[in-house]
Amino acid sequence: MNNSFLRISIWVYLAIFFLYLLGPLVIMSITAFNSSGFPRMSPWECLTFQWFGELFQDQRILNGIKNSLIIGLGTVVLSVAMGLAGALMLTQIWPKLRATYYTIIIAPILIPGVVLGISTLVFWDRINRMLGLGADSFLSNGIFLTVIGQSTFIASYCMLVLVARLQRYDIALTEAALDLGASHAQAFRKILLPFMRPAIASAAVLAFLASFENYNTTTFTFGEYPTLTIELAQKVRYGITPAISALAFIIVALTVFFALLNEAKLKRQKLVAAARKNATVEELAGKIKLPSFFAGNAAAVLVVVFAIATITVVGTATAYDPGQCIADVREQKQLEAEQRIQQLREQREERRKQREAEEAEQGGAQSTPKPSNNSGFGNVFAPNSLGGDESESDDGSSEADPAPSNNSGFGNVFDPNSLQNDD
Amino acid sequence: MPQFLKDFFNRNGTGMGLAILGLVLFWTIGLIILPQLSMLDFSFRPNLPPPEIGGPKDVYTLENYKYLIYGPEGGSQDYNTVDLRVFFRTLVAAVCVTIFNLIICYPIAYYLGQSEGSHIRIFAIMLIIPYWINEILRAFALRIIFGETGVLNTLFMGMGIWDTPFDFIRNDIALYAGLGYAYILLMIFPMYNVIESLDKNQIEAARDLGAPWWRIHWRVVIPYAKPGISSGCTMVFMLSAGALAAPQILGGPSSLWFTQLIYQQFNDNNDWPQGAAYAIVLLVTCILFVLAVMRLFKVNMGDIGK
Amino acid sequence: MSAGVGVDLEKLWIRFGDFVAVRDANVNINGGDFFSFLGPSGCGKTTILRAVSGFLEPSEGKVLIGGNDMRGIGPNKRPTALIFQNLALFPLMKVWENITFSMEIKGASAAERRKRADELLDMIALPGQGDKLPSELSGGQRQRVAIARALCAEPDVLLLDEPLSALDLKLRQHMRTELREIQQRVGITFIYITHDQGEALTMSDNIAVMRAGVIDQIADGKTIYNDPNTAFAASFVGENNVFRGKVKQVMGNEALIATNRSGDLVARISTANQGKMKEGDDAMMFVRPEAFAIAPDGASGDHFVTARVNHEEFEGNVFNIFTEGEGGKEIKVSIPNHGQSFEDHTGQNITLEYETHNAVVVPAGELAAE
Repeated sequence: MNNSFLRISIWVYLAIFFLYLLGPLVIMSITAFNSSGFPRMSPWECLTFQWFGELFQDQRILNGIKNSLIIGLGTVVLSVAMGLAGALMLTQIWPKLRATYYTIIIAPILIPGVVLGISTLVFWDRINRMLGLGADSFLSNGIFLTVIGQSTFIASYCMLVLVARLQRYDIALTEAALDLGASHAQAFRKILLPFMRPAIASAAVLAFLASFENYNTTTFTFGEYPTLTIELAQKVRYGITPAISALAFIIVALTVFFALLNEAKLKRQKLVAAARKNATVEELAGKIKLPSFFAGNAAAVLVVVFAIATITVVGTATAYDPGQCIADVREQKQLEAEQRIQQLREQREERRKQREAEEAEQGGAQSTPKPSNNSGFGNVFAPNSLGGDESESDDGSSEADPAPSNNSGFGNVFDPNSLQNDD
Repeated sequence: MPQFLKDFFNRNGTGMGLAILGLVLFWTIGLIILPQLSMLDFSFRPNLPPPEIGGPKDVYTLENYKYLIYGPEGGSQDYNTVDLRVFFRTLVAAVCVTIFNLIICYPIAYYLGQSEGSHIRIFAIMLIIPYWINEILRAFALRIIFGETGVLNTLFMGMGIWDTPFDFIRNDIALYAGLGYAYILLMIFPMYNVIESLDKNQIEAARDLGAPWWRIHWRVVIPYAKPGISSGCTMVFMLSAGALAAPQILGGPSSLWFTQLIYQQFNDNNDWPQGAAYAIVLLVTCILFVLAVMRLFKVNMGDIGK
Repeated sequence: MSAGVGVDLEKLWIRFGDFVAVRDANVNINGGDFFSFLGPSGCGKTTILRAVSGFLEPSEGKVLIGGNDMRGIGPNKRPTALIFQNLALFPLMKVWENITFSMEIKGASAAERRKRADELLDMIALPGQGDKLPSELSGGQRQRVAIARALCAEPDVLLLDEPLSALDLKLRQHMRTELREIQQRVGITFIYITHDQGEALTMSDNIAVMRAGVIDQIADGKTIYNDPNTAFAASFVGENNVFRGKVKQVMGNEALIATNRSGDLVARISTANQGKMKEGDDAMMFVRPEAFAIAPDGASGDHFVTARVNHEEFEGNVFNIFTEGEGGKEIKVSIPNHGQSFEDHTGQNITLEYETHNAVVVPAGELAAE
């Protein structure tokens, strides 16, 4: 009895946990298909693919992607190289220096990204000045600085991944290669590197993802080359649109796809290894029939399902025209809005009368209420209407509170608060 | 040549040895040590226009650090209450986020570490996938949920639990949820790694001796998982205290994060030395705090990152 | 036998910090010999091997291969090939790629390599297994691949670092014969490292017995077994009964030893120590279990020992008798089984005798740990 209760509570806990973890991503992805101008799930208006179109016409996003790819590539090369060198050094450093060395190369993981960005900027700016180079020199180039700044800590991640595999490396293999006449470089290239290949691949993927999503460091170093993350942050801070959801959906889909693909590949490797083990000599020589990609490989099946679903969606997207639906919704909203405005006017009129009466009583002079958002529909597409600008006010004083505290795309129309705002 | 270097080159060959040594030195000295020292040096200098740098006015000063404590000279207040309050609130909030994460992640790490079966791999993938999504987009997703007309408000208002939208952002709930969300993986993974290596027989034995489940955790699992727990907590604390994206996107207007002050000094006020000084204060305080807590719980530095 | 390339160690010292791993080693290994270094683990034999193969620079002294000083020459430039204790087969390469790695380094074409691999695979009796991965082979097969890989490099000297230690007993015994055959076929110098005296004795032309960085004796197997230089060599190689005592009298090449617990016994002084031992010296006398015979009751003299039988074992080819002499002195006796009737002596007192030339006296010294 106790046991089953425990089991149920574990599953409930897991469900809640993964809801917290994955729910936001699912909801965000869904909002990419809603025609509402503000990313939301309800009310559902129309199924639309317009946000994807908008996304691909956004020059800043496209440019950001390009910069991110360049910087990501540079960071992968530099941090995998440094991480590998760091890991090799860690396995053979003089024991007395080991602890200090480990602390130094692990520290960048713990140093806040902001601090890394600043120190990179300050240091290379100083080098630049010492060399007497101008503000447009290579050393103050945004791409260079960002690659350098990101690699500082991404190399630590790579080092951790690589050293885990390196610890399983038998140094006798390198010695055997040397003994058989290989040079050190040949032994490295032909023996150590192939052994490290899976870890290097993981480290490279990790480095690329870390670089691609980095914000804290990059925000100080990007200079003239804003990455995708920087562009996204600008957009999100100053107003959110479903086009960002569309981008998020693409990234989520790609991530899930590659995660499944990787899983399927691992599974297949396992199957192949098992098959080889059981194979006879003749089978090996005569190219034995290896198990097909899908045999007993659930992940592979999922990959295919996923791919088909994507193709279907894209196919629908080209054929489907949500124009009529959008027009309907717009019309309906117009009606509602007008109705609302009418109501509002009436109420306000009423209140004004009431207040006039009060003022007359007190004899005080109260300014007329600020024109709050009564254009109804007008602000919907204004990117600034989302309250993002407000969150930038830095003094943090709450005196400014009664200003429009509403970050909904529809202005105040549907906000029951709006009716009491002026009180 | 010292024996260590001689052995090193014997073992790796001259060319490979030079390449390894060069990369390691570039990384440790050129990318880690010198920039930090440079920033430290910079934080003690006045903010000067470029032509005056290196000139007679370029002297060491404590001005930038004084500013954090006393505010602008001739200011109206004795202390820089605004910045100081932001600073301490950031630290306290980072601690809260860390504890929150520890509490929600421990059961998951324990479950994943001690169960067997193919579903564990699926859970692991489900854990990792959000971490591959851009930090900004994760914050954005939470903003959609916590917005005034977001999913939560719609849901609760639809259910009639409250009738006016609750402002999650202004109340910092969105921010804490976002910070917690961002670093779940960094909390789970170190704990998971350690708990996975815990011999299941130990738990069986404890259970056999009649220990209730909470005592098993308190006396067996938690002491064993201490390196993982401290590793996870350290990372989450340092990263939340140093977070910038989540506070910028999810923070309410009245809740500034200390990193945002640093950002402003750099980008809005163009006062680099001041920003560097703030960064140094943040870095040093965080490190001292982590070391103090590690001393308190008797954890070694070497355990971090394992 | 073809005259292969010899290896000489001259006044070789190897130190790690304050620790002396090899102390003043002087060894001449003839070309084409199968030479073994025999000693317990940690005695410095692997260190010597690494100095010969070039992974270690000696602190003092020289390593000469074919008369050439090897100082400053890296492992990849020496005419040696090493077979590692764990074999160190490249796990990601197929068997044939492993075998012909040295050719790949020299830039040989794949077809050439394939051909040579097939030849070598035939030689090591693994035809057609070239496309497997090392992990898909059995222990003995891997062993042979490692040998083929080393031979493919056409070394002048093949170095083997306890290559059989990971195999089970049966396979180990089989591989001994096989290794010896291969050595005789290719005719190059083999230097073999082992802690197993059986391997050393069965395969080697000459053996160096090592203890704590020092070479105690270099000789062929028969000499080392019958005529050890030191107490260590006597106790490490084969089983031996030791009698401690003092030299009472030296009589030419023989000595009378006043043993601590078994009375005065006479024995031959080992060749290296003849003329060096004098009366009053601490000495150790060694008698092999198989050198004892059961004497008629009541016999006594300077080559008789009385003892009480604790228990007996029948091992097939021999009967082992475990006895306890005076003062608790344990003595093991092995009587060969050639079908004679054998009565159980357990609990009885018996008299043992040996022939003087089968007992050997050396100066007292460190014994090999059991």
